[in-house]
Amino acid sequence: MLEFINVNPSSGDPIYKQLHEQIVRLIVGGQIQAGEELPSVRKIAEYFTVNPMTVSRAIGMLVDQGWLERRRGQPTRVAEKQPQSMQQGHALLHEGADQLIQQAKQLGVSIDELIEILSNRWEQ
Amino acid sequence: MTTALLEYKNVHKIFNQNMVLKSINLIIEPGMVVGLLGKNGAGKTTLLRSALGLIEIDTGEVFTLGANPTQLNTELKSQVGYVPQQAFGYEGFSIREALDLHSSFYCEWDNSLEQDWLKRFELNPDDMVENLSIGQRQALALIMAMAYRPKLLILDEPVASLDPIARREFMLDLFDLSLESGSGVIFSTHITSDIERVATHVALVKDGEVKLFNELDELKSSIRKVNFNPTQTINLSQFDILHQTTNAAIISGYQNEQIPDALHISSLSLEQLFVELHA
Repeated sequence: MLEFINVNPSSGDPIYKQLHEQIVRLIVGGQIQAGEELPSVRKIAEYFTVNPMTVSRAIGMLVDQGWLERRRGQPTRVAEKQPQSMQQGHALLHEGADQLIQQAKQLGVSIDELIEILSNRWEQ
Repeated sequence: MTTALLEYKNVHKIFNQNMVLKSINLIIEPGMVVGLLGKNGAGKTTLLRSALGLIEIDTGEVFTLGANPTQLNTELKSQVGYVPQQAFGYEGFSIREALDLHSSFYCEWDNSLEQDWLKRFELNPDDMVENLSIGQRQALALIMAMAYRPKLLILDEPVASLDPIARREFMLDLFDLSLESGSGVIFSTHITSDIERVATHVALVKDGEVKLFNELDELKSSIRKVNFNPTQTINLSQFDILHQTTNAAIISGYQNEQIPDALHISSLSLEQLFVELHA
């Protein structure tokens, strides 16, 4: 699953946030299934060459939010029951939407015009 | 008595009537990996060398493993690792001889780490130290500083001459050291992307002062560049303003709120932040 994740250390977003968001996306999008095991924190850290503490932080958040399950003596895995996947799917779009809205406002584009642009491009 | 691995308390240093270090306050605890960023001449090397007692400060105090750095006993010295900007020493020795002598000074020596690194950097134990390339000498210096698993690792541009693969391997070893041994690391570098990968904290040194010292994650989350129209007065009083020009400001303390009159709010990479703060 790590090949589906792209971490950019120089991004303005902290690495743990990037990992968290992308793993949620993979779960919501179904690219990783319930019950699937995650590589260890150390393996993930080595794969991306990032501090294991940042990986730990992301995994911790995902466990706290119910996306992942920790079992004693076993690898962390994707939880069977996930927290409101649909709502999370919407929430993932908020940041992109906010950026689009900010750009539209800068360019003087109205909300109606924006909706039209989105509809047109959706069809393509 | 402090539990910190390294502590600077209101440290000042003057060289030739220049204030080279000014009001330095810094604490490094186990598990921290501090990236030290700053222009050449900003004071990074002086800062690091004063932790080793190689430079004596003028006012304030430095505590290295709780002790005065100019009075470290053998026991404490064996818990500090240092790689200077320019590797030197052991000329006239072969790599093997140099490592044998060096390792004899320390009770703990990780032979498997030594062997790994020699292989990794393709260092031939029979080669003479003075014939090595800069990168190879740097690699040797790293082995010599890390193989005895020091509690405090002080690195002055340790990877400047290493290729991306070698740097990556070095970073992975840093993780092992800091996490498994509860060690602390402070390293200066110009390669901001390395800091972004490896560091837990960032210290930015400018004109001898620590302008910024924060957790890296916190820094990225709370620092933003705000663009605005120079003719409009924008209210940024709720934030800490790190730098301001006529049409942009670098602020800290941002929590995703709206900023009226802001044309654009953007996050920054460490490199961008560095450039902006020196603009």
